[in-house]
Amino acid sequence: MLSKKHIEIIIIGSGPGGYTAGFRAADLGRQVLIVDKDPTLGGVCLNRGCIPSKTLLHIAKVLEEAESLKNMGVGFSKPKIDIDGVRSWKSKIVTQLSSGISQMAKARKVQTVEGEATFLSNSEIQIKSGSKKQIVTFDNCIIAAGSSSSTIPGVPIDNKDVLTSRTALDLVRVPKNLLIIGGGYIGLEMGTVFSSLGSVVSVAEFLPNLLPGADADLVKPLARKLKKQFEEIYLSTKITSVKPSKPNGLTVTMEKDGNTSIKKFDQVLVAVGRKPNTKNIGLENTTIIINEQGFIGVDKRQKTNVDNIYAIGDIAGDPMLAHKATHEGKVAAEVICGLPSEFDAKAIPAVIFTDPEIAWVGITEAEAKEKSIPYQKGEFPWAASGKSLALGRNEGKTKIIFDPDTKRTIGVGIVGPNAGDLISEGALAIEMGADAEDISLTVHPHPTLGETFANAAEVFEGTVTDLYIPKKPN
Amino acid sequence: MLKEILLPDLGEGISSADVSEVLISPGDNVSIDDIILVLESEKASMEIPSEEKGVIKKVFVSAGDQVKTGEILIMMEVSPGPKVTKEKTEEKIAPKKQKDQKISTTSKEKIESETKGKTFASPGVRRLARELEIVLSQVKATGPKGRITKEDLHGDIKQKMAQGLGVSIRVQPKIDFSEWGEIETKQLTKIQKITGDRLQQAWQTIPHVTQFDEADISILNTKREKLKTEGQKKNIKVTFLPFIMKAVIKTLKEFPSFNSSLDYQGKNLVIKNYYNLGIAVDTPTGLIVPVIKNVDKKSINTLSKELMDISERARLGKLKPGELKGGSFTISSLGGIGGTYFTPIINPPEVAIMGVSKSIWKPIYNHKSKEIIPTYTMPFSLSYDHRVIDGALGAAFTSFFSKVVLDSTTFD
Repeated sequence: MLSKKHIEIIIIGSGPGGYTAGFRAADLGRQVLIVDKDPTLGGVCLNRGCIPSKTLLHIAKVLEEAESLKNMGVGFSKPKIDIDGVRSWKSKIVTQLSSGISQMAKARKVQTVEGEATFLSNSEIQIKSGSKKQIVTFDNCIIAAGSSSSTIPGVPIDNKDVLTSRTALDLVRVPKNLLIIGGGYIGLEMGTVFSSLGSVVSVAEFLPNLLPGADADLVKPLARKLKKQFEEIYLSTKITSVKPSKPNGLTVTMEKDGNTSIKKFDQVLVAVGRKPNTKNIGLENTTIIINEQGFIGVDKRQKTNVDNIYAIGDIAGDPMLAHKATHEGKVAAEVICGLPSEFDAKAIPAVIFTDPEIAWVGITEAEAKEKSIPYQKGEFPWAASGKSLALGRNEGKTKIIFDPDTKRTIGVGIVGPNAGDLISEGALAIEMGADAEDISLTVHPHPTLGETFANAAEVFEGTVTDLYIPKKPN
Repeated sequence: MLKEILLPDLGEGISSADVSEVLISPGDNVSIDDIILVLESEKASMEIPSEEKGVIKKVFVSAGDQVKTGEILIMMEVSPGPKVTKEKTEEKIAPKKQKDQKISTTSKEKIESETKGKTFASPGVRRLARELEIVLSQVKATGPKGRITKEDLHGDIKQKMAQGLGVSIRVQPKIDFSEWGEIETKQLTKIQKITGDRLQQAWQTIPHVTQFDEADISILNTKREKLKTEGQKKNIKVTFLPFIMKAVIKTLKEFPSFNSSLDYQGKNLVIKNYYNLGIAVDTPTGLIVPVIKNVDKKSINTLSKELMDISERARLGKLKPGELKGGSFTISSLGGIGGTYFTPIINPPEVAIMGVSKSIWKPIYNHKSKEIIPTYTMPFSLSYDHRVIDGALGAAFTSFFSKVVLDSTTFD
């Protein structure tokens, strides 16, 4: 029996973008229904992405720090890793956060439905929950259906030893030998996790550098460390085929500079990027326009070309980051409720949670060069930071990119432990138009890693006293 | 190459206009300067010419729509651009009638490129600006290092309200006039509304003083009769106005402070070394003030021709926005209608205006020759901004004018 109902706002997807939009709209007095094909709320970020990966990365980091204590005169015996214990700890965190969202939804009287949402037209959505189907009409719709892992030809994704970020985080087992295809942030984060859990990890990247998009000087300390930590890093390497081998494991064919080589691994993890989930939600039954990059095109108010349909998060464009989605979710909800909101952020920070972490916001040096944007920079090496040395680390760096005319901050890049927590000050500096002296004259506490942000501005101004920089002869 | 044709800045503080005619449709070939749209703003109707040669791809507006400065009107394929690089995204993405904002495909990139620029506003200020519907680029920044602050936004609003540009608050109770008899309601025209707002603002913000005087225009009249007859052969209508204009120019040259404006802070007087006279013209839809430029360099005949042309087009609503600005002094003549004296309201940012009334023959007693001489006299008024001009100067101005009209070389 097909039931029909009407709702003020329907949201497809309960990830950070979807639930934020729903909660904001509910707080503004609207009736909201969130549909998600998963039984738990929170989307990829919470269930199979940011949160579980960070839970595991924390374990990896503590393991490594304990190990590094031997240089400081403290020795532990080799840690015993109980993979079931690790998995259930991770699941506990995920469940805790997910049920938190459910409770908040209930408190706000936001309805949630588990099911597959498919557009039937510009004004109707069918929700299929198991064998039950219902049709919902709506005043406004927000599409927050997210993204999923991309695949590459020649790699059998249905093989149980071929993992994606999603299945890898299920942590069924710790493979002895793991090849990660893709040297982007997901590949390197997962590689870090498995390596510290005991896997021998190799990475294959098609491009000549790890982490394409990040400035090379920021990647360098990480690349140096991963070279030691990982078995092998294959750059400019193409994976042409992955085949099951007997009695178990996988045979991988790689190509570099025209030379083919064949290697054996227990498992392969495919982390070659993500693609927006524009398939299977019935967009073909609407007049919504997909742009040439494959995203749903939206304006600054997150509105698609259809007047009452909005799109936010990964499905609405790069960068595919949860914090972009949450902000866009608020914009969409507020616009629907008649507020004059726009997504007008000047910069969206990006963080890679490896060890060391890499984070940047605003314009990168590479981007400035490529687009001929004039810039000047101030850099502070963490080898001169007392706090960093106390942590036993000296490879970090804080870099601020300034507009040469106004001296305003237009970009920040940081590599080092906790770079992800430090980058927020850079984002604030860009949004507030802080220039070099605004930063250097702000008193930063000592000894902290955050201090290096002020130091970098001092280097730019020539007022730094924690380094000796010889004056250039005139 | 696809190119969006946006509504250009129409000047005169006109930010929106109504589309009265769309002269092209998709598929049409247009050349440079072909008229593509006709718009009607508060003050004038204007033809929008094409700045490019090419084929019209899409038309986003239709007659009756209100369009704002910067809004996309038309998308055209500009030749001779190579057609190979078809700009697919925009064509695909632009919906039929997206009126508010352009959909951007690489939305975030564009925002980042705006990081540059001299003025700056933090996210909270940007939000407030949206709430108050203020365009940030038009706000004067007073914060440190060129930052626009929330106070700047409040100041902007206050200033606009003081200028009466916002909603004009009229404390008038709602009265049902039909209680006392039959009534008829007629909507004010756009020109009446905008003129009303401007006059109210001028009247409320400028301390007006009006000086009355009377000029002997017998010599002017003789000269006019002569040129009038000559003009009739060439189809030129020669009125009193160009003569008065020439005399005003001579007087303005003697008293430059009447040909000036206060700067926006009210701290400096900007004296103009050009002489552009605004001429108040009564049209079926309301009062309008076109400007005749460089009057000092023009002959009576040239001025007569220009006046004929401009008043004709003013009545037809065909003036271009450029013809309504740049005035340095205004003349309002009711001489053809009647009345003795009136108190004209200054046309800001000018600082003075002359009002001309109906000339009459008067008996003037000359006490030296003990004769009564019939004299053709013109009563006129001069309203001036007392912040800039003192009473003594005002009286000196009208006296000088009265002398100048007695000198026939004034009109050569």
